[in-house]
Amino acid sequence: MHELSLVQSLLDIIEEYRDGGKFRKVNTVRLSFGRLGGIEPAALRFAFDVASRGMPAEGAALEFDILPVIVSCLDCGRDSTVDGFTSQCPLCGGDVLVTGGNEELRFLEMDVD
Amino acid sequence: MTTVQVVKDILDANERIARENRRLFDEKNIYVFNLMSSPGAGKTTLVERTIEALRDRFRMAVIEGDIQDTCDADRVARHGIPVVQINTGGACHIDGNMVRDALPALDLDNVDLLICENVGNLVCPAEFRIGENVKIMLLSTPEGSDKPAKYPLMFQESAALILNKIDLLPYVDFDMAKARKDALTLNPKLEIFPVSCKTGEGFDAWARWIERQVEEFRKS
Ligand SMILES: Nc1nc2c(ncn2[C@@H]2O[C@H](COP(=O)(O)OP(=O)(O)OP(=O)(O)O)[C@@H](O)[C@H]2O)c(=O)[nH]1
Ligand SMILES: [Mg+2]
Ligand SMILES: [Zn+2]
Ligand SMILES: [Zn+2]
Repeated sequence: MHELSLVQSLLDIIEEYRDGGKFRKVNTVRLSFGRLGGIEPAALRFAFDVASRGMPAEGAALEFDILPVIVSCLDCGRDSTVDGFTSQCPLCGGDVLVTGGNEELRFLEMDVD
Repeated sequence: MTTVQVVKDILDANERIARENRRLFDEKNIYVFNLMSSPGAGKTTLVERTIEALRDRFRMAVIEGDIQDTCDADRVARHGIPVVQINTGGACHIDGNMVRDALPALDLDNVDLLICENVGNLVCPAEFRIGENVKIMLLSTPEGSDKPAKYPLMFQESAALILNKIDLLPYVDFDMAKARKDALTLNPKLEIFPVSCKTGEGFDAWARWIERQVEEFRKS
């Protein structure tokens, strides 16, 4: 919903790292986030294309490392990776706690020329 | 071609401002809660009732993050409490910066409890810290009990969940047991308060809890 402001922060970080011209062009930007974080890659990509016009990051590809949802079982004690929210252990049907998948949007690295 | 390692949270800039706000609140000994829900779940009604329940205990102030008009701020102002309306300019959440900009309008030396009503939205308010002590989430029964599964982050980030509009339970399909279970699956520490802000049922448990949080914070 606020993809433009996220993208603006991303572009600000790129400018910071460019530090007056250490690179001319950004080819790829790699980001990560947890699957439960409510982030939509398509919306982010669209906002990025719009906001990066005329900047070194224009045309850069966005790559997403989407971190899985992990549940820890309170009955059998095992961790499982699941596709989305569940309150049941896929291994034994017991009750679980969600212990991974809510990581916020991170800027990992970028390929530049 | 070279690879530049960055490894930075995109919301870092907001985090920094939120921490500055927090420092100011600590200095002034102000407890702050950030109230989040979807549109119409009953945030302003809860704020009004909370003011009435605690007005003899604490000096309160309210920040209202409405997208446009000042309806909610006017409702709060009728209780004789200082209120600032944040102009979110159509934004879907309030952030650290907006709260910082609103603070000069309040006399912080005379506030014990600051309530921030976020924009009605179940997605992004959870991502943006504003310098609050806790986030409080409100879910109303007509919205359905599938919300923890659909909007997990909100439930994970909140310290308390108010299940509002329990007076409507006979008329809506709301599975209280499922809502509780799914919410606790996401956040086992979550305090859950079923209430009706209309009839007042269950409200006292919430009021006592938040009163205790403020007291403990101000003693420490
Ligand atoms: N039946 C019933 N209605 C309620 C209850 N709490 C609030 N309402 C009604 O729900 C409607 C919305 O309440 P508000 O307090 O304005 O909701 P809000 O979350 O502040 O709404 P926005 O700020 O627009 O997102 C109003 O008509 C309230 O009177 C409740 O416990 N039971
Ligand atoms: Mg409101
Ligand atoms: Zn199990
Ligand atoms: Zn938002």
